[in-house]
Amino acid sequence: MKPAPFDYYCPRSLDEALALLAQYGDEAKVLAGGQSLVPAMNMRLARPGVIVDVNRLPEAAVIERCDGSLRVGMLARQADLERMPVALDAVPLLAQALPHVGHWQTRNRGTVCGSLAHADPSAELPLAIVVLDGAIEARSSARGTRWIAAGQFFESYFQTALQNDEIVVGASFPARREGWGYAFEEFAGRHGDFAIVAVACAVALEPNGVASEVRLGLGGVADKPHLAPLTAYCGRVLSQRDLPEIANAAVADIEPPSDLRGSARYRRALATNLAQRALTRALASARTACDGLAQ
Amino acid sequence: MSQPVLGAPLDRVEGPGKVTGRIAYTADNDIPGMVHAVVVESTIANGRIAAIDESAARSAPGVIAIMTPRNAPRVDARKVDANDSLLFLLQGDAVEFDRQPVAVAIAETFEQATYAARLVRVRYDVRPPTTALASGERFLPDQIFGKPAQHKRGMPEDAFARAAVTLKQTYRTPTEHHNPMETHATIAQWTGDRLTIYDATQWVFGVQHRLAATFGIDPKAIRVVAPFVGGAFGCKGQTWSHVPLAAMAARLAGRPVKLVVTRPQMFGWVGHRPQTEQVVGLGAARDGTLAAVTHDVLSETSMSDEFVEPSVVFSRDLYAVPNYAMSDTLSRLNISKPTYQRGPGESTGSFAMESAMDELSYALGIDPLELRLRNYSANDPDSGKPYSSKRLRECYAAAAAQFGWSARNPKVRSTSRGRMLVGSGMATASRATHRSPCTVRMRMNADGNVLVQCGTIEQGTGTPTVYPQLAAEILEIPPERVRFEFGNTDLPAAPIAAGSQTSGSVGSAVVVAARRMRELLVSHDGKPPADGFEVELEDSPPPEEAEHATQAFGAHFAEVEVDPDLGTVRVTRFVGAFDGGRILNAKTARSQMLGGIVWGISMALFEDTRYDARSGRIMNANLSEYLVPTNADIPDVEVILIAGDDPFANPAGAKGIGEVGICGSAAAVANAVYHATGIRIRDLPITPDKLIR
Amino acid sequence: MARTSLSAVALQLSGSGAAVSEPAGPASATATPTFVLDVNGREHQLTVDARVTLLDALRDRLGLTGTKKGCDQGTCGACTVLVNGRRIDSCLTLAVMHEGDRVTTIEGLASGEQLHPIQAAFIKNDAFQCGYCTPGQLMSAVGMVNEGHAIDRNTVREQMSGNICRCGCYPHIVDAVLDWKGRS
Repeated sequence: MKPAPFDYYCPRSLDEALALLAQYGDEAKVLAGGQSLVPAMNMRLARPGVIVDVNRLPEAAVIERCDGSLRVGMLARQADLERMPVALDAVPLLAQALPHVGHWQTRNRGTVCGSLAHADPSAELPLAIVVLDGAIEARSSARGTRWIAAGQFFESYFQTALQNDEIVVGASFPARREGWGYAFEEFAGRHGDFAIVAVACAVALEPNGVASEVRLGLGGVADKPHLAPLTAYCGRVLSQRDLPEIANAAVADIEPPSDLRGSARYRRALATNLAQRALTRALASARTACDGLAQ
Repeated sequence: MSQPVLGAPLDRVEGPGKVTGRIAYTADNDIPGMVHAVVVESTIANGRIAAIDESAARSAPGVIAIMTPRNAPRVDARKVDANDSLLFLLQGDAVEFDRQPVAVAIAETFEQATYAARLVRVRYDVRPPTTALASGERFLPDQIFGKPAQHKRGMPEDAFARAAVTLKQTYRTPTEHHNPMETHATIAQWTGDRLTIYDATQWVFGVQHRLAATFGIDPKAIRVVAPFVGGAFGCKGQTWSHVPLAAMAARLAGRPVKLVVTRPQMFGWVGHRPQTEQVVGLGAARDGTLAAVTHDVLSETSMSDEFVEPSVVFSRDLYAVPNYAMSDTLSRLNISKPTYQRGPGESTGSFAMESAMDELSYALGIDPLELRLRNYSANDPDSGKPYSSKRLRECYAAAAAQFGWSARNPKVRSTSRGRMLVGSGMATASRATHRSPCTVRMRMNADGNVLVQCGTIEQGTGTPTVYPQLAAEILEIPPERVRFEFGNTDLPAAPIAAGSQTSGSVGSAVVVAARRMRELLVSHDGKPPADGFEVELEDSPPPEEAEHATQAFGAHFAEVEVDPDLGTVRVTRFVGAFDGGRILNAKTARSQMLGGIVWGISMALFEDTRYDARSGRIMNANLSEYLVPTNADIPDVEVILIAGDDPFANPAGAKGIGEVGICGSAAAVANAVYHATGIRIRDLPITPDKLIR
Repeated sequence: MARTSLSAVALQLSGSGAAVSEPAGPASATATPTFVLDVNGREHQLTVDARVTLLDALRDRLGLTGTKKGCDQGTCGACTVLVNGRRIDSCLTLAVMHEGDRVTTIEGLASGEQLHPIQAAFIKNDAFQCGYCTPGQLMSAVGMVNEGHAIDRNTVREQMSGNICRCGCYPHIVDAVLDWKGRS
């Protein structure tokens, strides 16, 4: 399939790109990795009149650690992160989530920021950044730069808080912190497919074993990454026996869709099970982190 | 002279061409002046075209013509024989299935044609479609490949009523689409009234005859070219609508036209394996001896055609059952015409029958393999004819030993590996082999090099490798001195490359021609004359061949791991042993068996075309939602060849090997899942949600 | 805590994000850009519809039909090529986006008549039947090795899962890759 004809721009600076978006508004689409946009255009789900190819912008593929976060520039490919051990070590949840994102062929081309901007509710990277409480850096020519907290960025199916004239220029993933443990679990019908259900979990333990934070997000169960309200379980010492209850609480208010890839009933069962697995692993890794701290 | 039964595992002679990308498949051809055609398919499954507005499409850049029922050349869309299909060639306004061709856009470039196709506005009068098997109008077809739709031997009702143990269950297999990696493609070029066609087909002569009838011209005026086909599995056996549409578009455009079917269109008009609902009844003595088998099959067909999935063949022709009854009922639905898919009949029938046998084994407390051995039949149980050869016992023994079947704990849900439940299951494989008339021309030059010509095709089965190998053996020359020319209608006529008959048909013709060539050579003191020898002959099965029943056999053993929490099934080990008669090339034969097993695993766990009940549209018409296995889904598979000559099958001594691998393999996986979990899944595919209760 | 352990790798990665040369591609609007595509070490000047994918440019414009179209939707891997040494689906990217990149296709794998060792290993291990997915499998295998993965059976299975083979040759594909590079 082929999209409708479009005008193609290949700006050489970010300012030039932003000026194009300001000029064309919702007629224009930013083309980075293209792994979502090109098929969407081919299937006529997207019909932009103007394509702004940002692949030539200088400096935009930077991946760096600063102020306790991993900052990922707009053109960093998913596979760039995956092949950088120091980056994976800095954000263990990303290290676990990335292998689930499509295949090498798509990760070599697809960008981290593009996946966030695309906001597929079953995608892995939006789920990870929400659970980590990261932020997205958006820029426009009119209003300059603003940071949008991940929890506010995703609004609905393929809908974000991004304005028509804005580009995602980077994303910030909070780095591993002392006493934290992380786990990512996913179930797809077949290797490399979109998740039927994905779960990302981050747990923080005090040196005395009390859980100070329990963050658990679910993908594929709603119109955006779903962050379960689990504050009730903070401030307690958690044991393995508590986990089924927490998992049940995590899925209590989800209303998963029924589709070809799984019924609502099956998705709920999957979500509960994967939540429990993720909690178990995250807790264990947090304990290891605490033990390391104590020694 | 006796031939070795296991052909040398020679590398494929076309291998270098395939690994360098130099070999041209249909869509790789380019013809000067060629333009591009894209089919516009219906977006409804039942109704009529009320109006087509092609004005926007016609004025789009690069567009040459928009072909609709209004301006399409008048042609004959009717079928030419019982095996053929009614085609959808823009001759009327009726729509009877999702993705039926309703228009064709023709433009200078592929991008322009695709875009123009999207601009064609079609308005429909929509009627409610019927796509559920249970809802269609039911009828008994007049015949199934020349046999009645209902058949009986002995007294099945009495025997079933008197049996010590009985079992009656319903098994379901879904609609499945072939999805070879190469989609269908046709290039059509008119030169005056002569037509040249490049087509992705399993049968160049079939395309030639179909087009001759469609356009009312002499078959000799049509040349069809298809040397290399990028996978087919049955869907490229028929001439489907896009082939004449490409030729019609070429006539309208006055230019050569390339038409490539898109992946979503592969779910349209190019055939599929029909869904089945099969009721299997088994009546047995306590010792497991079968007294009666009944097999009643309901399968789908299209509104204007009949295709029967002959699932009953498997239960009819395998075990020593004195009393047997079968029936084949069709249900008319708003779907495209179903067709042959790898192992038609036996693939679906074996899932039902071999699942039922497994159920019986647990009911009786008899080992599943032992139960099969107790019902082993020395002769074809239906016709009473002796088999041309049968090494099924050897298959069972070899595969069971390799698998380690005797070490299995027979109790269900008794074995685990960490968190995973482990189970193993087995099933019998059986598939009829056929032989059709085939012509070959064989030339030996003065230098002793040989050229063999036959209009068959290569679809991954080893055609250019195995037939020279066969000729070389008889002529006692190195195989590299024999070249095989194939893939177009200028060559001697071959039958369709399908139905496990190519080895038996082309192979036999090559053997007979090579034997005659050898006689010529002997009569010339082993040296060909300056102008060489030429032998051309049509080889047909002699009447005495019908005195034997010819079937390929095999035994499948599968091990699975099931995640008890998520319901996921992984096949962790698979062993198959096969009796394919004489093996022409051990390397390519092994690959075909492996492919069949992968198809069986795929049928068991993945494949399932889903219709939206309200619209009648297919909901997963792509390779991300219509699941076929990836590399990570397939374990190491051990293929054992129980080779042996078959003097009665055909002169090549070979039985078909392309399909026997899928027959029974899905049941082996399902039986292993039962052994692992205690859950019997009778409707394929075995998706995780069915195992979570 | 400012730029710490990763400051040393404040990388400008060598993907297409960092232009290798300064391309002459359009900064102004056009629906039919003119650009230069480097394929297998040869430069080709193209003026095509911006909609043309890299796959269609290779096949229809440059006559390099070894790269196959299996789905045109990024789901089968038949169109896998290397861009700057990395494997990508050429159907999911526009040709115009690749000015300045080094594109390697199946036609660029062998050295003249001398097959690349992975090509020879595919033949020896019968890692194909119909051959249609084979160019994509081969480019993916080379890309996988470039990615530096451990070469064992399970890794190869996982890493080669973006390439569908409908003939079902998967175990033989794994054999071929191990035969070429690894140990089982």
